[in-house]
Amino acid sequence: MYHHEHCEGFQCEQQQLEASLAQSGNELGALDRLMAWFRQRSLFVLAYGTGCGAIEMRPLMTSRFDAERFGIIGAATPRQADVLVISGYLAIKTLKRVIRSYEQMQAPKYVIGLGSCTINGGMYWDSYNTIKQLDHYIPVDMYVNGCMPRPEALIEGFVALQQRIAAGTPSGFERYRANIDWYKANQRRVLGDNMPPDYTYDWYHAGGVA
Amino acid sequence: MNLVFKLLFLGLALTPAASLFSWDGAVAWSLFNGITLSFDLTPLSAFFMLLLAIGAPLIAVPMLREKSDESAYALYALLLLGMQLLLLAGDFIGFFIGWEMMTWSSYLLLLRSPRTDLEGAQSYILFNLASAFLLLAGMLFLYSITDDFRIQAVDGLLTADKLVLFVLFGLAFLIKVGALPLHLWVPRSYDQAPDLFSAFLSALMSKMGIYGLMVLPLLFPDGFSEISGRFLNGPVAGYVLAWIGIITATIATFKAISQEDMKRLLAYSSIAQVGYIVTALGVGSSLAIGGALFQALVHTLVKLLLFITIAGIILQTGHRRFIDLGQLISRMPISFFGVLIGIIGLAGMPPLPGFAAKYLMYVGLIEAHWLLLLAAMILASTASFVYCYKLIYGPFLGHANSPEAKTATEAPWQYLIPQIILMGMLVALGIFPGWAIDVLIDPVLVGLNMTPIGTPAWNVLATSYGGYDGIAVMGVFATIFVLISGLFFLLRGNMHRAASPYDLSFCGEVPTADTPLHYGAGMGRELRRVPLIGWILRHTTTGFYAGLTRQTQAAAGVIGTLYGSNPQTWLLLAVLIFAVTLTIQSVTGA
Amino acid sequence: MAHYIIDALAMLGMSYVMGFLFYGFYRQFNARVQRRWGPSVFQNFFDNMKFLFKTETIIHGPMFFFGPMIIFAGAVTTVLFVPYLKDSNWLQGFSHSGNLILIIYLLVVGPLGNALAVGSSGNPFGVMGVTRGLTRLMGLEVPFLLGLALVMVQHETASVHAIMAAQTDFAHWNLMTNPIAFIVMILPFMASQHASPFDVVGAPVEVYAGPRVEFSGRLLGVLMTQNMMMTVAKLVLIADLFLGGATTIWALIAKTFALFLLTAAVSTSFPRLRTEQTVDFFWKIPLGLGVIGVIATVWFPWS
Repeated sequence: MYHHEHCEGFQCEQQQLEASLAQSGNELGALDRLMAWFRQRSLFVLAYGTGCGAIEMRPLMTSRFDAERFGIIGAATPRQADVLVISGYLAIKTLKRVIRSYEQMQAPKYVIGLGSCTINGGMYWDSYNTIKQLDHYIPVDMYVNGCMPRPEALIEGFVALQQRIAAGTPSGFERYRANIDWYKANQRRVLGDNMPPDYTYDWYHAGGVA
Repeated sequence: MNLVFKLLFLGLALTPAASLFSWDGAVAWSLFNGITLSFDLTPLSAFFMLLLAIGAPLIAVPMLREKSDESAYALYALLLLGMQLLLLAGDFIGFFIGWEMMTWSSYLLLLRSPRTDLEGAQSYILFNLASAFLLLAGMLFLYSITDDFRIQAVDGLLTADKLVLFVLFGLAFLIKVGALPLHLWVPRSYDQAPDLFSAFLSALMSKMGIYGLMVLPLLFPDGFSEISGRFLNGPVAGYVLAWIGIITATIATFKAISQEDMKRLLAYSSIAQVGYIVTALGVGSSLAIGGALFQALVHTLVKLLLFITIAGIILQTGHRRFIDLGQLISRMPISFFGVLIGIIGLAGMPPLPGFAAKYLMYVGLIEAHWLLLLAAMILASTASFVYCYKLIYGPFLGHANSPEAKTATEAPWQYLIPQIILMGMLVALGIFPGWAIDVLIDPVLVGLNMTPIGTPAWNVLATSYGGYDGIAVMGVFATIFVLISGLFFLLRGNMHRAASPYDLSFCGEVPTADTPLHYGAGMGRELRRVPLIGWILRHTTTGFYAGLTRQTQAAAGVIGTLYGSNPQTWLLLAVLIFAVTLTIQSVTGA
Repeated sequence: MAHYIIDALAMLGMSYVMGFLFYGFYRQFNARVQRRWGPSVFQNFFDNMKFLFKTETIIHGPMFFFGPMIIFAGAVTTVLFVPYLKDSNWLQGFSHSGNLILIIYLLVVGPLGNALAVGSSGNPFGVMGVTRGLTRLMGLEVPFLLGLALVMVQHETASVHAIMAAQTDFAHWNLMTNPIAFIVMILPFMASQHASPFDVVGAPVEVYAGPRVEFSGRLLGVLMTQNMMMTVAKLVLIADLFLGGATTIWALIAKTFALFLLTAAVSTSFPRLRTEQTVDFFWKIPLGLGVIGVIATVWFPWS
């Protein structure tokens, strides 16, 4: 399954995270820079209200914090969304839906993990039915830590994501394609036979692995 | 033998075309008492003969696929003969003979369907006989005051006589076109008839009622406005007729939306479309009559196309209900295009000719200043978008909902040939609406002593209220469509097809084959929440007729009490009165 | 021929630019009413470009792809059949080959074509959205066309050019000479622009995006583009019919902007109606007014 030989276990995860941070957008052409600029200026958010962090999404969108001034606005369906916000702990039952929704989004797509629970399980660190590290299952582009992070923190996270998009940093989706075996193995470990159907990542079977 | 019969039948289907093109000069056949049967091809009857000439062979081609059925062929022969007699007749005797032949032969054809039940057959024959008897009463009444059976303008009638004539003939023909509340037989018979015969009923036989309604103004030198004066820019009698037509159209449209069976939906849609024609006839101006003729032409083509296509679907899948079909677009692509072109024509969308017909009728209503009628007509024609969408979504889009729909193949070529011909005709008419005006409609208008609409070029539909250019509309639309699709294909990058029909954004859930994803039958159900539509759909004319039956039975009960238990007394009394009257008459020498 | 092509391109470019600026203004306006800053006025342009530059687009069969192409072709045809300027050779498109009734029907050709795509996606939420849209159309079209028919009866023509030419100065604008027609058709007109309170068709979040539920990436970009151009075409049409048309581009922008501002003001002020409430509203208030208008101005010709 897992085809990286030069590392093992936690090392690989660390390497993957660092590898994506190291890239910069200097080698982008004019058209790429323009596209990247449009992309960062317009982020449609699929706010997945998985946990208590969802409560922070509402003030973010409404008058008090007004995320729309950054071009951030809610989307109704995964088809139209660019950013998937995982707002808090993720029960295993919900993980299946999250994977399905993430795979239905159209590239380029980004994931923001909101709150400590997405980083290390937070206060659910010993729960039997939540996942502890979101990045094991879907690729996270930006973490906003805290329990709960305030909307200001969330905006900061969004702005940091926008900077990365404008710089042309590859999105987590490339990482997902490159390491699909590893991600699927992790997903299968917690979901067992209850995996979402595989036609949403049909490019994998079509030999289109990047 | 089989082949011979089939060839004979095909030849038979070509007879309307033969009589259309080879007819020259009038035929008169003297009967008794100076009454002659006269037959002639007037421009008006030539127009309807043309519809017959187009429709009959196109329905015959798919019929040839089945095992040859001599008795059905014989009945078709009678039916076609009757319709041609009716169209050629120059007097009401020939007209009535043709009408009766058409009624009975179509009734027998209807009975040959295994789906026909007693109720359907009874309502068909009862309503059509009522129509025939009203026609008979009307023509005898006409004879009693003019001593003449010929269809021509009669001068010097009393207003009451005109009204009686108008009501008798009007009701006879309105039954045939299926105006509300006289439509009861239409959905039942169109639904239960053999699939291809439904096309004949809807596309051609309903037009005979329209022909009758168009003959009607010929009786009055000044058209409908002679009967009871004028309202705004049109006749009062026509205003009433127009409202009958438009109420029919509106209610039938809502009924069509709530149907769950393809053929019943088409039946109600026929009632609605013919309702527009009745409305336009009511206006009676040359624009409106032109619109009515255009609509008759388009409706004939569209209903032939739709009924033949639907017959093909039923043949291939064995299902008629929207809920049992779905996703046939990839398996029956030509049928899909047939229904697509059909519904574009039905909805009156530019650039197909349905729009030209709608445009003429709208402009006719605007010219007559009958704006409330216009509003009602817009309501009916906008509501028709819903059933048009249902008609294409149910069978062709969405998800296949039965094993047959999952494995169906394209309809046989005998069904596809008429479809392709009809699609071609509709597209050509859409590009050249002026051609239809110039060649088909203006001669009729001239024949009816009306101002022809006229056209500067065959691609232009021109009226005093402005017009449009068929080539420009079709050309711009097609050019942009090709350009943008081409551009998209060049730039398409990573556009890929979903690997599964269940790859849907379904709120994160994973739909499976057991999930009810096809929305075919439920579509339009929520319309009932709109108060007006809910009210219309809750009330049916069946209730009206049930009430009528109760009242009749009650009245019969009351009359029956007079009758007592010994009829001999009453008979004796009647004979005595008769004898006494005769005696008195002979004594007084009257 | 070259004239036609340049003219058509100019009309399309102008519709697009005006479209995204108007929608950008609307989002700003809405934000200020809600006491926030709101996005840049170019935000709709950014959104549209972002969608057109998406690297992935999923389709569900050929009809799904052709639907947005049909709606785009319908929008462009509509733009090209509406005369943008009065007494000018420019910005006319093919408007001399068309008339008002044709334009009204062209407005719905595209959405119906797209409805086929929605159906072929196989997503029941999309089809429910289409049914909502067709139901709303049934409600709004009756008073909308009745209002326009009052104008057509007044001028005895269905040609937009002739109606424009008859409105020589402010006192002869149809807004002044036939105010009842304007009042009858203005609310249905707003509904045809998908403006709140009649926007339940595509209302995101509550009803899962309506007809657009399955469209993604570039196809969604095409849908956005045509929506902006169609909005401008409708605004120009109403400016031609009721505000006397425009002789210069600046007058055109001013008049369409005034109409757009009216729409924006109404849609920020009122909460959303359900579909059947929308239809019922249109059949009661604007249509009732229309019937009164017909009786007052057509049946009794004292005015």
